[in-house]
Amino acid sequence: MTERASLEPGAVSPEGAGSPLLSVENLSVSYAATRAVRDVSFQLHDGEFVGLLGESGSGKTTLGNALLRLLPPPGRISEGRVMWWGSARTGEAREGPEPHRAGRDLTTIGQEDLRRLRWREMSTVFQSSMNSLNPVLTIETQFRDVIEEHTAMRGAPARQRIGQLLEMVMLDPSYMRFYPHELSGGMKQRVALALALALRPRFVLLDEPTTGLDVIVQRSILDNVRALQREQGFAVLLISHDLGTVMEVSDRVMVMYAGKIVEDQRASTMIAEPMHPYTRGLLGAYADPRAREVEIAYIPGRPPDLSRPGQRGCLFAPRCQEAIDVCRAEEPVLSAMGQGEAACHVAEAAYAAGDGRRDQSARAGEVFTAPAGRTDRGPRVERRQEVLAVAGVHKRYRSRRGLKVTEVDAVQDVSFVLRAGTVTALVGQSGSGKTTLARMVTGVERPDTGSVTFGELRVDRLRGRGLKAYRRHVQLVFQDPFAALNPAHTIGYTLSRPLINHQDVTGAALRPAIEELLERVGLSPASTYIEKYPHQLSGGQQQRVVVARALAPDPEIIVADEPISMLDVSIRAEILELLDTLVRERGIAMLYITHDLLSARVLADEVLVLHNGKLVESGATLEVIRGARDAYTRQLLDAIPNPFATRRG
Amino acid sequence: MRYFVSRVMFFVLTLWAAVTLNFIIPRLQPGDPAQTMVQRLAGQSEAIDPAAIRAVQIMLGLPTGSIFEQYVDYLQAVVRGDFGISYTYFPYTVTHMIAEALPWTIVLVGVTHVLGFVIGTLLGAAAAWKRNGKFDTVVSLGSTFIGTLPFFWIALILIYVLAFTLRWFPEAGGYSGEIDPAWSWAFFGDAIYHGILPALSLLITAPIGWIMGMRNNMVHTLGEDYTRLALAKGLRQRRVALTYSARVAILPNVTGFALGLGTILGGTVMVEMIFGYPGMGKLMFDAISNRDYPLMQTIFLFTTIGVLLANLCADILYGVLDPRVRREAQT
Ligand SMILES: Nc1ncnc2c1ncn2[C@@H]1O[C@H](COP(=O)(O)OP(=O)(O)O)[C@@H](O)[C@H]1O
Ligand code: SF4
Ligand SMILES: [Mg+2]
Repeated sequence: MTERASLEPGAVSPEGAGSPLLSVENLSVSYAATRAVRDVSFQLHDGEFVGLLGESGSGKTTLGNALLRLLPPPGRISEGRVMWWGSARTGEAREGPEPHRAGRDLTTIGQEDLRRLRWREMSTVFQSSMNSLNPVLTIETQFRDVIEEHTAMRGAPARQRIGQLLEMVMLDPSYMRFYPHELSGGMKQRVALALALALRPRFVLLDEPTTGLDVIVQRSILDNVRALQREQGFAVLLISHDLGTVMEVSDRVMVMYAGKIVEDQRASTMIAEPMHPYTRGLLGAYADPRAREVEIAYIPGRPPDLSRPGQRGCLFAPRCQEAIDVCRAEEPVLSAMGQGEAACHVAEAAYAAGDGRRDQSARAGEVFTAPAGRTDRGPRVERRQEVLAVAGVHKRYRSRRGLKVTEVDAVQDVSFVLRAGTVTALVGQSGSGKTTLARMVTGVERPDTGSVTFGELRVDRLRGRGLKAYRRHVQLVFQDPFAALNPAHTIGYTLSRPLINHQDVTGAALRPAIEELLERVGLSPASTYIEKYPHQLSGGQQQRVVVARALAPDPEIIVADEPISMLDVSIRAEILELLDTLVRERGIAMLYITHDLLSARVLADEVLVLHNGKLVESGATLEVIRGARDAYTRQLLDAIPNPFATRRG
Repeated sequence: MRYFVSRVMFFVLTLWAAVTLNFIIPRLQPGDPAQTMVQRLAGQSEAIDPAAIRAVQIMLGLPTGSIFEQYVDYLQAVVRGDFGISYTYFPYTVTHMIAEALPWTIVLVGVTHVLGFVIGTLLGAAAAWKRNGKFDTVVSLGSTFIGTLPFFWIALILIYVLAFTLRWFPEAGGYSGEIDPAWSWAFFGDAIYHGILPALSLLITAPIGWIMGMRNNMVHTLGEDYTRLALAKGLRQRRVALTYSARVAILPNVTGFALGLGTILGGTVMVEMIFGYPGMGKLMFDAISNRDYPLMQTIFLFTTIGVLLANLCADILYGVLDPRVRREAQT
């Protein structure tokens, strides 16, 4: 496979040099009343690496599924075409431009023709590949069936090829005998990737291929994808909600909002000059955690409900700081400007008038600032009141398989204190012992040796009634807000439980108490939320409810376990700001568990870095991050997607 | 492999426990075990027939020697298949009576159970594959409707129409009085002829559960990512439907199927009573109505063994079909 000329920067403009591999023309997709994709057009060229960026619900997966004609019911393509210009392959005729290539419309092509194109020409890795392998077939069988369906390869050569494919994604060939459940999440993802490349397709659709994996694993898989793409020259459409990731690996980025593509330009120019206010807002959510002063921005509000008919004008207008009158009347169309394309009245006018410069800074949106050292939370950290002390704790887990007993030292000799009005970040890879420590703090787990003391109370010796009473002082905020809320209960009911159980609030006093909690977490006016059910709220609002519930018993300590990792980038900073305010105003001691050093930098006073159960680094946030000595801490820093850093080769 | 060995060992252990309990329980009460047992089954107030006590004593083995010797005697008797003399069918042994009835039940219930499962699963899978189509509508509505009808009602309609009115099949019995039960073709033919009606009645109702179960499971697996990925891979429809969707959807049903096998040994009282069929169900009914304790006890022991065997089958089948239970996750 030869390197393609089109990979050189600048060789392909979004408008396309030469004929495209895939062109989408005015595509609209709806699920009953929901118009998930609205009039989308773009082209994709041979060997191009294109990112599709947008928050969840913006229609990325729907668009991807429509391209491959895999829409689940009731999804339906209501308008438009998807033209495939790469004819069914004959020999190696795919090199060089083919002037007379006949296009085929994938939305109307016959089932049998489509089946022959599939996987040979276009393949995919689904969002959450956790479930995209058949649980009852071996990995080998799942490669073999597709190889035997589309090629003449059989028996030993096929087996050898499968081995090569696994090696290509850095897995040992012996894994082919395994069943999916015997592999870890990252390994499954690698298998799914190898499977997608099994027949050397010309186009691969990757839908959030690394979401939900450990940051370091994510990094390594994406680097792997990019290297393979350079080597084999297939075209990629990478779907992700993570701007940092998309920017770093893609040649070109398309930004999607409310079912429309609102910006399309080369990644290198987009960083310097984002045109659409939404893109500008998203870029504001990133920063270098090593800087003296870190500012991260968020876009207030939430995306529109696409099932509501009769919405006029730019659908981003309610969240847009640059909106003008015409925005509310007329929906902008994607048109060429600057170095690419964008759909925005204000940007269009700015480019028509000159170089596109706008009054607003690129960091549009609300800003949440983390200064070099936190002084806004009262006296110096060491002088704040100590709330909980963990001293020299050890925890060893024994697991028995057959006669073999394996021992894991989950936590070894860890000591730290939590102080009032202070956020202590606990950073580390999955499996490093973060959760075990958090469980000790909440009293769920007892250390083998060492102590956990809360005031006069030995938490590690509590049982029964005492433990129950202690729970009032320590509250939890989880990663997945939806899973943490009972879908059958209203928000009001959910919040009333801890008030009744811990605070003895009853009767007429209950409703005002609930309203006060909701207002405190920024859900206002509170009365509109009390009767709602969790599914009627956005992810960010759900997380606010979870925080409100944690506040109800008036706790001294809050343990927040990755509270923003499942939220969209555009609203993460918003939740961080909320947590920050609560800590400051109520003097709460917070243990903030994460593997995201940027958020730790913004929120935390102190950082503890955990690696294989040992505390490898600890101290004031900026010092730890700037002076990272431990190899693992540096790896974590490198794993933070940073669109502003020089792009990786 | 270890999984299967452990399952078989578990089976042997529970089997031993069941047999032993059968020995211990009558001896736990104070006094003569036979007398107490008959008393308990007959009700406190009733006068006890000495013949019944004698029959039970024979079944239990006379309490001579130490409890350990009695236990060994008992185990040997169980292994020999010696469960004493039936009280109702004197002088036939219990073993003889069961040996007479068991084949009838095993053939009738066994065949319909397997056929019902196969038919139901296939129909359910086909309905799910073409979900919301015409076939699906007919199958789903049809099975829901039949599912609401009481079984005896269906059986009686069948008897009325096919046997009484049209006279295509005999109304009752397992074989004609004119033919001697023997290993002859004539007898076999006659037995099958008699078996068709009860089998038909069972086959109308047996697939219902499997249809619904399979359809629901498969509608679910059809929406799973691995099925959609199989489509994206450009595999043929047949392979996607069978190896990806149906293969996973069938798993929960297989357990139900294997467990259902356990009921075979107990027979189906209702079918056998309605059709006057000479199987285990009828034998059990007779044993209970005549207070034939040795026979009852032995039939209960058999049913227990049936359930244990079925559990073993279920575990082994599941292990063969689902790799997830065979090997533990290693990460
Ligand atoms: N199977 C479905 N049925 C009905 N609505 C759906 C379905 N899948 C997605 N949607 C709706 O379509 C919109 C776009 O969803 P999706 O394409 O999954 O976005 P993304 O991948 O960007 O998160 C959302 O409003 C979502 O609620
Ligand atoms: S068109 Fe108007 S409202 Fe929409 S993004 Fe541009 S400036 Fe904002
Ligand atoms: Mg998606």
